[in-house]
Amino acid sequence: MKGVLAAVVLIAAFAVACDRGAGGGPGITVVIAEYSKDHTRGFWQALAEQYTKQGGPKVDLRIIDWNSIDQQVTTMIQNNQPPDVLNLNSFSSYARDGLLYPAEDVLSPNTREDFLEAFARGGQYQGKLYGLPILSSARAFFYNRDLFAKAGLEAPPKTWNDFVQYAKKLQALGGGVIGYAMPLGPEEAQAEWAIWMWNGGGDWKQADAWAINSDANVRTLTFLADLANRQRVTQVNPGKTNRTDGAFQLFKDGKVGMVIGFSPLAKQLDAEGKVKYGVAEMPTTLGKPTTLGVEDYLMAFKKKDNRDAVKKFLDLYYQPDNITKWITAEGFLPVTKSGLERMRPNAALTPYLDALPNARLAPTTDPAWDRVKLDVQQNIGAAVQPGGNPKGVLDQLQRNAVAAAGAR
Amino acid sequence: MRAEAPAPARAVKGRRWEALLWLGPSLALIGGVVFYPAAALVRASLGRYSITGVYQGSVGADNYVRLLQQPALSTVLTNTAVWVAAVVAVTVVVSLALAQLLNQPFPGRALVRWALIVPWAASLIMTSKLFVWIYDYYFGALNRLLTSVGVLPRPVDWLGDDATVMGAMIAVGIFVSLPFTTYVVLAGLASIPGEVYEAARVDGASRWATYRRLTLPLLKPALLVAVVLNVIYVFNSFPIVWTLNDRNPGFAHDTMVTFMYKIAFKSALRDVGLAAALGVVNVLLILVAVLAYLRTVRWDDGEAAASGRA
Repeated sequence: MKGVLAAVVLIAAFAVACDRGAGGGPGITVVIAEYSKDHTRGFWQALAEQYTKQGGPKVDLRIIDWNSIDQQVTTMIQNNQPPDVLNLNSFSSYARDGLLYPAEDVLSPNTREDFLEAFARGGQYQGKLYGLPILSSARAFFYNRDLFAKAGLEAPPKTWNDFVQYAKKLQALGGGVIGYAMPLGPEEAQAEWAIWMWNGGGDWKQADAWAINSDANVRTLTFLADLANRQRVTQVNPGKTNRTDGAFQLFKDGKVGMVIGFSPLAKQLDAEGKVKYGVAEMPTTLGKPTTLGVEDYLMAFKKKDNRDAVKKFLDLYYQPDNITKWITAEGFLPVTKSGLERMRPNAALTPYLDALPNARLAPTTDPAWDRVKLDVQQNIGAAVQPGGNPKGVLDQLQRNAVAAAGAR
Repeated sequence: MRAEAPAPARAVKGRRWEALLWLGPSLALIGGVVFYPAAALVRASLGRYSITGVYQGSVGADNYVRLLQQPALSTVLTNTAVWVAAVVAVTVVVSLALAQLLNQPFPGRALVRWALIVPWAASLIMTSKLFVWIYDYYFGALNRLLTSVGVLPRPVDWLGDDATVMGAMIAVGIFVSLPFTTYVVLAGLASIPGEVYEAARVDGASRWATYRRLTLPLLKPALLVAVVLNVIYVFNSFPIVWTLNDRNPGFAHDTMVTFMYKIAFKSALRDVGLAAALGVVNVLLILVAVLAYLRTVRWDDGEAAASGRA
């Protein structure tokens, strides 16, 4: 009897102890998305240790893969246990819900002024910086040099007309060669679409209002659907092909003439050494090609008594040595002026660094984008399937975007 | 004598306390693992949440009303019915045959029995990823096999073609459900006493008649368990449908469980409250389905068969 009681007391005490460890006690929770199995954990683990050694509190570091990070973060917030520092590809919904510190509260002025202009603007919600740029990437046009040579093509295409002719010639090589690999499946369809959309003269918004079904956009999506169904120069079912295990995989296997890639793909291609490839600017209908820049964010969550700890941690990450070390390891692009200077000498990055100033960002500063993005990912693929209806799909996306603008 | 009476009463009272203490941990476990999450789910289904997960107050039954208005709901319900019925039915029929085979003595039987466990022991995500590669249009083993032996004139995009996605998923569902079901049936076969078969032989019953009139009725309790557990398991199965269907836009091939996940985290809805409402509906659906099944097969008969009165 006494033994049982003692056991119960012990269990209760243990439960209380655990609770304190997980919850309010001293220490900060840092959630980072897993950019790669090789580098992400190693870098942040070392950074957390350095931080604690320099007198900071203990860091509860959580590296979460991209597939489940939205789910886990939502659950944390739903249970009233938000992280202190969060890394994600969106921020404005969190800012709108009043969960975040503005940058001026948690970053020293030097760090704030070091951000590249475009990325600092991409992190603003209602005129204030909340989404601190953590790294960036820029898409570029990749082509297979061996297949180009076989098809008698010399330089990458500059216009959409060239592009169609090139794709036909590549496809005509036969033996399973694919002219252009188009990933409009749910994984990253919004990125693939945005690049074509901009180079077709359209945009997500016109004068601050959603313009997803503009005439230019309908033309562009019809062009893409024709590539798949009339010209037949894409892989099978482009509306149902994801990027990483679909289009990139085919390109890495040497089956594809052209694909839109980014610097991590180049890194993988170099490591495998199987495909000779070139990197160029996007073919365009405009005078000047545009590409997509992607900015990911760090956010600082407002919690009781965590401001100083968070500030220390962020300032440590943004020390030029640290941020550049990580961005280089992961194969991404800088977000700071000092980082840009440091990475300039790397010739392999030149095409992306050159593209960076002209790169356009998704409208991440608008909280409605967080829904629009998911809607585009889930639905735009249907437009390029056989019998798909590009205008109908864009009309529906536009209606949903307008509705999302009013919703929370 | 009378004077001693209160003492045992006190002892019993004390024991009751003690019993509660001994039961305490398991009661706490049931409370924590079953009742608390269920209550939390119901509570979430009555609330509105911002896209970030911030609770914004109660909305009553609004989430349930909005759930019924989802245009994809009927497609998803049909998919779920097809998915569960096909996987469970085919699994049970194939398992009956497999168990019969594995019940016969033959050289290497132990090895085959062990091999059967493999798809069960492997993680569902891994198995699903493996099948994604097997089904792949360009690299997949299935297309290479079928085109080289001339069954197919050209490769099929098994996971991209709307006509074949569900069938491809069902095949994987059956593959991973077979081991468990076969073992349940095997256990059922082992529990049938040999004398019954001897009697049948003496009566001159044919093999088929013996199987149909003797083995099957005596297997009823085992089959009942196999069907009920499989229905629950297949209905709630997430990894197969999620992994094999991840390339397809929209909800055309989702089941209730992947629909719930997409509502919560992956679609433009991004609505925890609506997803929780669907979660509650899912629990009720599976309860109703299982009860209806038990009623039609008359659970009591099964009990009778189990006690050997059939």
